[in-house]
Amino acid sequence: MTFFFQNVINALQWGSFYAMIALGYSMVYSILMLFNFAHGDIFMVGAYIGVGVATVLVTLTSSGAIVLPGWLILVLTILISMFLTSFVGMFVERVGYRPLRDAPRASAAITGLMIGIILETGNLAIMGATRVKFPPIIESVTYNIGGVFVTNKKIMIVVISLMFMFALHQFVQRTKWGMAMRAMSFDYVAVPLMGVPMNTIAAMTFAIGSALASVAGILFGIAYPVLDPYMGIVFGWKAFVAAILGGRGSILGATLAGFLLGFIEIFVAMVFPSTLRDLIAYSIILLILVFRPHGFFGEPYSAQLRL
Amino acid sequence: MAKCMKILVLCLAIGLAVSPGVQAAEKAIKIGINAPITGDIPKVGEGTKFAAQMWLEDIKAAGGLDVGGKKYPVELVIEDNEAKAESAVKAMTKMITEDEVIAIVGPQASKQAIPGGEVANNYKTPMISPWSTNPDTTKNRPFVFRGCFLDPFQGPVLANFIKEEFKFTKAAVLYDVASDYPKGLAEYFRQAWEKLNGPGSVTAFESFTTKDADFSSQLTKIIQSGAEVLFTPQYYNEVALIVQQAHELGWKNPIVGSDSWGSAETVKLCGKDCYGLFFSTHYAAAGATGATKEFIDRYNKKYGYVPDDVAALTWDSIRIVQRAIQNCGKLTGDIKADRQCVRDAMAKIKEFEGITGKMTFTEEGDPIKCAVIVKISDKGEYEFYKSVCP
Amino acid sequence: MKNTDLPEAGKQDTFRTSLARIPLLGWLIGALVAVLLEHLTGLRLAEALLLPKVPVLFGLVTMLKTPLLIPSSVFYVLLIYILPTFIVARLTRPLTNRLSAGLFNLSPAVSAVIHLGVFYAALHLWSEISDYRVLTVKLTLIAIMLTLSLNLINGYMGEFSCSHPGFMALGAYTASVFTLSLFTDSRMFGTAVFQAGYGPFLFPAALILGGFTAAAGALIIAIPSFRTRGDYLAIISLAFMFIVKSMIENMEVIGGPRGLGGQPDYANLPAVFVWTVLCVWMINNFVQSVLGKALNAVRDDETAADAMTVNTRQTKMTAFMFGAFWAGIAGGLFAHVLRYVNPATFGIQNLAEVLAMVYFGGLNSVYGSIVGAVSMNLLGEALRPLEIYKWIIIPLLLILVMIFRPAGLIAFKEFNVRNLIRPRG
Repeated sequence: MTFFFQNVINALQWGSFYAMIALGYSMVYSILMLFNFAHGDIFMVGAYIGVGVATVLVTLTSSGAIVLPGWLILVLTILISMFLTSFVGMFVERVGYRPLRDAPRASAAITGLMIGIILETGNLAIMGATRVKFPPIIESVTYNIGGVFVTNKKIMIVVISLMFMFALHQFVQRTKWGMAMRAMSFDYVAVPLMGVPMNTIAAMTFAIGSALASVAGILFGIAYPVLDPYMGIVFGWKAFVAAILGGRGSILGATLAGFLLGFIEIFVAMVFPSTLRDLIAYSIILLILVFRPHGFFGEPYSAQLRL
Repeated sequence: MAKCMKILVLCLAIGLAVSPGVQAAEKAIKIGINAPITGDIPKVGEGTKFAAQMWLEDIKAAGGLDVGGKKYPVELVIEDNEAKAESAVKAMTKMITEDEVIAIVGPQASKQAIPGGEVANNYKTPMISPWSTNPDTTKNRPFVFRGCFLDPFQGPVLANFIKEEFKFTKAAVLYDVASDYPKGLAEYFRQAWEKLNGPGSVTAFESFTTKDADFSSQLTKIIQSGAEVLFTPQYYNEVALIVQQAHELGWKNPIVGSDSWGSAETVKLCGKDCYGLFFSTHYAAAGATGATKEFIDRYNKKYGYVPDDVAALTWDSIRIVQRAIQNCGKLTGDIKADRQCVRDAMAKIKEFEGITGKMTFTEEGDPIKCAVIVKISDKGEYEFYKSVCP
Repeated sequence: MKNTDLPEAGKQDTFRTSLARIPLLGWLIGALVAVLLEHLTGLRLAEALLLPKVPVLFGLVTMLKTPLLIPSSVFYVLLIYILPTFIVARLTRPLTNRLSAGLFNLSPAVSAVIHLGVFYAALHLWSEISDYRVLTVKLTLIAIMLTLSLNLINGYMGEFSCSHPGFMALGAYTASVFTLSLFTDSRMFGTAVFQAGYGPFLFPAALILGGFTAAAGALIIAIPSFRTRGDYLAIISLAFMFIVKSMIENMEVIGGPRGLGGQPDYANLPAVFVWTVLCVWMINNFVQSVLGKALNAVRDDETAADAMTVNTRQTKMTAFMFGAFWAGIAGGLFAHVLRYVNPATFGIQNLAEVLAMVYFGGLNSVYGSIVGAVSMNLLGEALRPLEIYKWIIIPLLLILVMIFRPAGLIAFKEFNVRNLIRPRG
């Protein structure tokens, strides 16, 4: 039984990364009906920005210039990185997506893909081939609860990501901007005619998605402190799967699909030989789609899709 | 039409006038470097490039390469293989047919070295892969050599070491199923371990896929299986994650690794978690003496970090190429004949004193070399622990 | 040269119109003469221009590596390729026009074959100079097949499929297992069943088998994903790609992650060329057929197409499997060109490359696919000296193309062979 609960804990942590990245993906997808293939790399950039901010704060503290406790450093790192990364997102939108809003949908996906490659290679060119270690902000403490090992990091990661997901949900459901976003995802053509500023909403979507990706990046850096320029690729594609699996226009759906993906990957490795993990995990996803072709919460839509 | 012709004639004239009037210098000896500068393992490419460039400096300082009493200028042709098999083949073909290199150092990882070796052998161009430990790289390829020992040797070395050192009987293995080096080594280790301790002594044989960062599920399984030691033949970036996560999940037993741990990065990324662990490798940086120390100090001064085994092996390999060219005696200028000559000279090299140990090639082109077991000290240095020779 | 050799019609015969009146045959013959010239004098000219060797890809690599040699390279290209092609094409214009008119009237099919023959002769002579050229040409031709087959799905059908690397892998492995087990003594599959001499003749069978395997794989995706419209094909196909890769990694019989090597050397230049031509011809016919038009109708408005008695689901499935078939063939050729495959080759990176080629060239266009594949491949090779920065410049270029021509360079254009080979005099 401890074996099972241990894996539940593992899966919760792993799933929260997928969920957070899938959220940003899902927002762009539901509001603009576009794939944001640069999202995985925005996650990578967010993690690197996080490293930069955290390093500055840690060195300032250790040199005695300012005195900050560990948790405050973490909070500051997250907030500053969110702010900075949201500009990366808006930049991607401005360069890669806005000029292509009336183009075939896939063309914007390609610009996103290409911006992603530029971010990766640019990072490699600037930072060099050395992998970056995330500075240890929090000392890891392991608790043994009846044979199940939990670290303070794991709890923190799950709590922080749930917090942000809840905040996003509130924002989308309760604020005027959130309403505009929901309206936009409901009808892409008519809503801008009602006076909703399309460009602002699009930029905001990208900014929020990127900010979330940067939170995911920092938490990822804390849990798995080895960063490299290509770390976002697989994450980006898997989040893409989660976003569509969750259903269009559903924050809850994307969150659940992210966690589901994490659970499937962890539990398949637990039950079956781990060499077969990808094979079985993706077969399960294929099966889910056969029976629920519109994802979990998405509405079946017959609206005219552009190419 | 006439106007057009006039413009063309003008272009011709300008072209001729602008064409550089430099005299064709003495034909340089070209050595190809096929390295993964971009892609999954850029650090490997960087180490290769740096070591080769350091060697080139030496040659330039000496005024060229002395072959048969004549000094030749040397040129390096460095090609990026993007850590992809097809790109390695393209780069290989380009260097051999276009740049007319006399010999090639690289590709490093077996994934590129196996198809790359095929090309080199087909074109009868000597190639030496410093780092590829897979037997297939040199098998039935007279023109392909390597600078390191092989997986079938390393696996048993580690199994014996663990048996002797800790007296354990149950081991677990965690490896990357999508990458052929860890997979090959994991299997050789399992064979050797089960030969020593009987079938079923490998209690967990778990895998993951390249680019994974979370190994908690596999590690939980390994801990459950009651293994006494964990063997993980992974690259340095994954080592840091595996070791840390294992400790977070309550693993307290030793973790043992292979030569792929031997990067300066391992300890930097892993920190205290890796202290006290063992791995087998080609050379130990800490406590090195003589030429090895000289190389390490020089590299460290120039590039700012202690060279890993890739750099050291590349350094040895390129010097083997140099020795082979010099032993060849005389370069005819006919690239085909010269390549054959270099290949024959390379096969004859005996007791080459490299910084990673003495080397003599077998008929397959594999060196007979000792493996070194290294312990990561409490200061994070790679300490020589013991040496195992075939 | 004076204008005297021109016919009297040359009053308004400006440079441009005079070129426009050269038929394709003229250009091809010009190119043939140019490469012949390179064969005869290329080396000597290169030496005279102080170039280290005959510039391999139109001097692009040399130029980036040693900027000092730019004038020489430009000069070489001008002297060897551009000038002779132009002059010959221009001089033989009356002749080639008459010739292509005669051939065209005789039979357009014969004419097309002759055009292809001349084109192949030029290509063969050009690539014969260096093995690096041969390899580049082969991989470019394979890229054309891949791009075209993906364009069929993403462009003509308007879905977003991500499974092309998976289809390629299926084709590559099936064809490799076929040839390795039947015609070679390999460690994995034991001794050869047939004499090696039969191999080249049965090679097409291997490829077609690979194509069918890929098409069968496509069926697995098509059944669940074409029940509804939407982006589900995108993730189903992506999941399929992961599944195929993982499956091959787990099959020790075919080498697992270590890959499969030592394929016999059947994929020589003529073979790859013939297959590419077949692929272009068949896909072009397909998209111009009733089925192709139905496909476009489904893309533009599925409900309307359905109302017009188009069986939308069947149309989509046929097109999808047809595209997968050609991806499988391309994969088989790829395996036999490199003579080594491993599952890691058929991953996300490969997908990004094929997608880039499709959208760079242009959607819904055979021309576009050819242009996209050729230019991306040439760029990839030519920018080699830039090392890392190559992967900044290529994406940047693509973004610019997408911004200024959102559907790609040459999108929505019919590939009309008759129009291409007709006389222009």
